[in-house]
Parts: sequence; C-alpha cells; structure tokens
Amino acid sequence: MCAFYPRTDELPGLEDTGIDAFLLQFRRETTWLMWLGTLAGALVYHLSPIITIFVPLPALLLSKRLRDKHAHKLGGHSIYLVRQTAMLVKLPAGLCWGRDPKVRAKFALPPFAPDPDTWRTS
Amino acid sequence: MTHVSFRDRREPPYEADADYVVIGSGAGGAAAASTLSRAGASVALVEAGAWRDPADYPHSTYGSFRDLMDDWGAQLAIGRALWPIVQARCMGGTTVINSAICVRTPADVFDRWEREAGIGGAGGGRGTLRDRVWAHQDVLERELSVEEVPVAARGRSNELAFLGGERAGFPESHYMRRYVKGCIGSGQCLQGCRALKKQSTNITMVPEVEQKGLVLSSAPVERIVIEGRRATGVRGHFVHPRTRARGAPFLVRAKKAVLVAASVTHTPVILMNSGVKNRALGMGFRAHPGTGVFGCYADPVDQNVGATQGWASTGFREHPGLKLETLSIPLELVASRFSGGGIELMKRISEYRHVAMWCHAVRAESVGRVTRSLLGGKPQVRYGLDRADMLKFREGMYLLAKQHVAAGAKELITGIAGMPFKMQPNEIEKLKDAPLDPRAYIAILSHLFGGAVMGSDPARSVTDGRGRVHGYEGLVVADASVIPSNLGVNPQHTIMALARTFAEDLLEA
Repeated sequence: MCAFYPRTDELPGLEDTGIDAFLLQFRRETTWLMWLGTLAGALVYHLSPIITIFVPLPALLLSKRLRDKHAHKLGGHSIYLVRQTAMLVKLPAGLCWGRDPKVRAKFALPPFAPDPDTWRTS
Repeated sequence: MTHVSFRDRREPPYEADADYVVIGSGAGGAAAASTLSRAGASVALVEAGAWRDPADYPHSTYGSFRDLMDDWGAQLAIGRALWPIVQARCMGGTTVINSAICVRTPADVFDRWEREAGIGGAGGGRGTLRDRVWAHQDVLERELSVEEVPVAARGRSNELAFLGGERAGFPESHYMRRYVKGCIGSGQCLQGCRALKKQSTNITMVPEVEQKGLVLSSAPVERIVIEGRRATGVRGHFVHPRTRARGAPFLVRAKKAVLVAASVTHTPVILMNSGVKNRALGMGFRAHPGTGVFGCYADPVDQNVGATQGWASTGFREHPGLKLETLSIPLELVASRFSGGGIELMKRISEYRHVAMWCHAVRAESVGRVTRSLLGGKPQVRYGLDRADMLKFREGMYLLAKQHVAAGAKELITGIAGMPFKMQPNEIEKLKDAPLDPRAYIAILSHLFGGAVMGSDPARSVTDGRGRVHGYEGLVVADASVIPSNLGVNPQHTIMALARTFAEDLLEA
C-alpha cells in the first residue's frame, strides 16, 4: 500500500499516516467483501512486477526505485482488470492518507474531528 | 412519538401495527409517509440504516463510506466496465449524501410515459399525472426552502464553471437551485450537512412522521408478508449499525397497505424475496452514468470551499443527452481517482488545491437489470452503455474540457486510460477521438431508475400509474424504481412528487 503513496519532499507518505492502525480499524469495520478485495489487490500488487516492469520477482523483493516504478505502472495499466485491482488498494489507502491532519495541512484543509460513530438509540 | 432502534437478538421479537407501512426513508419513502401521516393515518416507517442526526454525521470520507453508504459504496454495476453505484443506507437515504439538487420534471418526460407506458393521462377527476406532480413540486419547493446557491457559498470552482459556461456559450448555464436553506458553503454535502442547512428527509419529513407514528431504524426488511394477493406487513431482523450483527426479529403489520421505497436496487429484490411474481420485475434499470474532467488552474481553486455542487447546465439534455455540473471531490478520493502510483502519483496529487472537477451525467438510453445475487441475496445490477450512449459520454468529456479552457484552465486531466495524464488546452480536439470503450473511464452511476417500472400493461410493467403492484392489493412502490424512462435531470424532485401523488391516491382509495 505504501508504495502507492510514498513520502516525498513535499508530502507525507502513507507510512507517516498510521496505516497499521488504519488497517486494523478497516478490517474490523468494513464488509468482508471489501476486505477481501483489498487483500486481493495487495496480492496482485506483489505478484505482478512481471507484467509491469518485466521483473520476475515479487514486489517485496524489489528495490525502492523499482517498487515505485511498479506501483506507477500498475495504477495505470493498460489491462482494465489489472488497473482495477490497483484501485482496490489505492482506495482504502487514499482514505487513510487523505484524512491525516499532516496531509490535510499541506492542502490548507482543516483537520477532521474524530468521526462520532454514533446514532439515535431512542 | 416512537422511534425503535436496534434490538439485540436476546430481546423478544418486536411487533407493531399501523395503517400503512413504508419501507425506506429516502426521497420517496419519506415523502409518501409524511403525506399519509398528515392525513391522519397511522404510519410506520421502516429504514434499513441507522438514524444519524447531523451531530452524528462523520467528518471524513472514510466515515461517510462506513456510516452512510450502502455496503461501503462497494455496490457495482456489472457490464463491460465495473462502475460503482452511489446510494446511501441511513435514515434519510440518499438525500443525506446528495447535493439536494432540485429540478422540475420536464414536460417531455410525462409525454413519453404516456406514449410508451400508457400512464399519466387524466382520470377520475384528479388531473393528469404531470399536473399533479408539478403541483406537488410547487409545495415541496416551499416546504423545503429551495433556493439558488447564495453568492457567499458558491466557492471558486462553481464560479469558474459559471464563467466557463458563459464564455463557451453553454445553454441554460446557471447556479443550481437546491433543497438547502441558507447554505454556508461548507463543502460537506457528500458527508451529510452538519450545518443543518441541507433539507434531507431525516431532518424534515421523518421527524414529522415520528411525531404521530412509528419509525424503525437499523431495520432492513427481508420480506413483505403477503396473504393471498394482499400485502399485510413486513418482516426482518434488526442489524447493529456498527457490528452488523443480526438482532431481534421484527414484524410490522399493515392494515391498509405496504409502500416499498427502498431504492432502485433494493425495492425489486425485496419484492422478489417476498414472492411477487412479475416478469418485468428487475427489468428496465436505467441510470445517469457520469464522470469528471479536472481543470488545472494557476491560482488555487480549493474546490472543497463552497457548495459541493453549485453550477449546472441543463441545455444539453435534448442533444446530445447530457447534464453538466460541478462536483467537488474530497482529497481522499482524488488520491485514488488519479491514475498511477508512487512518486508520480504524489506529484499529481500535490496539485489538488489547483484543480476543479466538473462532471457530466449521461441521459443514457441503455437498459440493465436488477437481480438477486447468489451470494447473500443482495441486489446485483447488470448494466452497460451501448455505442450511442458512449458517444454522448465522450461528447460530455469534450464539452467539460472546452468549458475548463474557456474558464482559463492551464491544463486538463481527463482520467481516460490510454490517453496522456494531462492535456494542453490546444489538444482538446483529441477528445473527439477518445475511446468508446467504457473500461477506459472511471465513472459512477448516480441517478438510478426502474426495476419495478410503472405501466398500463402488466406483462411489461410491475406497477400501474399509481404505483400499485399489478395483481396485488395493498402493495405500492413509491420510489425511483417505478420510473420507466431516464429523466435527464436530477431525480429527487420527481421521486418526492411522485411518491406524494401515490400516497394521495391511497388515501382516496
């Protein structure tokens, strides 16, 4: 996931936005289908360097530079379903990254208050 | 005043009685329920989602997906491409997460319904369907304080769109009229208006129904109880809003009628699950598929400041069959909406403050189908655009790009697979040759119609022109499922007025 939103000189990366805690929350709160999709997307990301940068290695064994290249090619791949699997990872990762106060500050956006997760009970 | 929320499965089954049971609290359900309630009938409104007041609304897009969207926004229309369907699951339905855009039902829509479905003509001294719907729309506009987006709430994206529309000579370019009272431009329409300005049904009609009747929340209806050919109530189990754990069963009996307004995807499936036999059930699904074009501007646009949607042009409705409008998109979604990944994606996102997204909605003639999924019996939509609709879709991309250029955009981001990420203003003619394959576009289906369409012929329609299910008694459909054609305009106003018309007919019966 972090490969899609890496830290740059200008912006915090996904690794700076509490992704581990987010994933625990996401797994607990989302539907099983959504979680399955995210896992499937992550699996495709790891197994697909051969079709993006033509390197027969899983993504976790790639250098940082190649991982970055792989993430970029996967996110804009010419095969629709491949591109869609990248979306399955980019969407939840983007929800985590974009709600982080450090990230929002970079775009002159106010920080979010915590989501109340409350409802009428009577 | 009775509101019943989630009940644990260890609690005894919940049972209640009412004259009318209404399934769903969105535009259709709430409008029908409030009409019945005002006439003195006892009404039970049964909503699948939780009742969240504005103070309960989430702040983040994550929270919006979790707390307000149906199935985390993961419902897809399956065709050549997989396009998400945007629907809410909460008290107030999609009126909580939409932009409350108010457009009167165009006259030609009624002509078409009369011509193709045989409905809408004058009968019984009540006037034509058109006259009755328009009369209700007059009242709704007053009740729900419809107003044009105020100057102070427009924000730069909407102002640029207006400027671009004027300079490009777009017909009927205007600031929107919405069910919003004193908009302050907080840019939070899609997460629910915490400022209490948007007049969504959870803060207007539902409390009115609750005053005199019964409201159940977190109570998805599994089936309508049908005895012989008569609908006599609804059954289901409460579902916990956070854990989705199944709670106690509920049964609400209807002395007079059950009205189904659970959405275009859920209404047909509830009818199927209830054993309603009709060959047209699930057929005639239609939508306004759409996508956006980003313009990159020299100065910050800050699209999240101002009304989420504030400008529109309805001048392309007849030809080529489009509606153009602004739509501010939260940072969290832009991050995944832009193609690519890694450092290049971060570079693209870094321009967020300088981009404005404007979108089109295609008045598509393609027709799909709602079925029950084998996996859990949930709604499944099969839908794709034919070539004629894809031509409109592509033309919409060109018009939006032209508008951005007229407004002074320095570059354009179309998001079309196979085309460069950015396009220069002098390159927009290339969009005329953009692919017609729907898989090249990131689109959504926002306005849905059909699945239980109305018509005079029981072999080709599910309900008659008053929403009554053919062959059954006391069973009425009162949401966009009955709409047998594509409106080409935002449907909330039509859905509410139609539902009120059907409720009025029930009271007179």
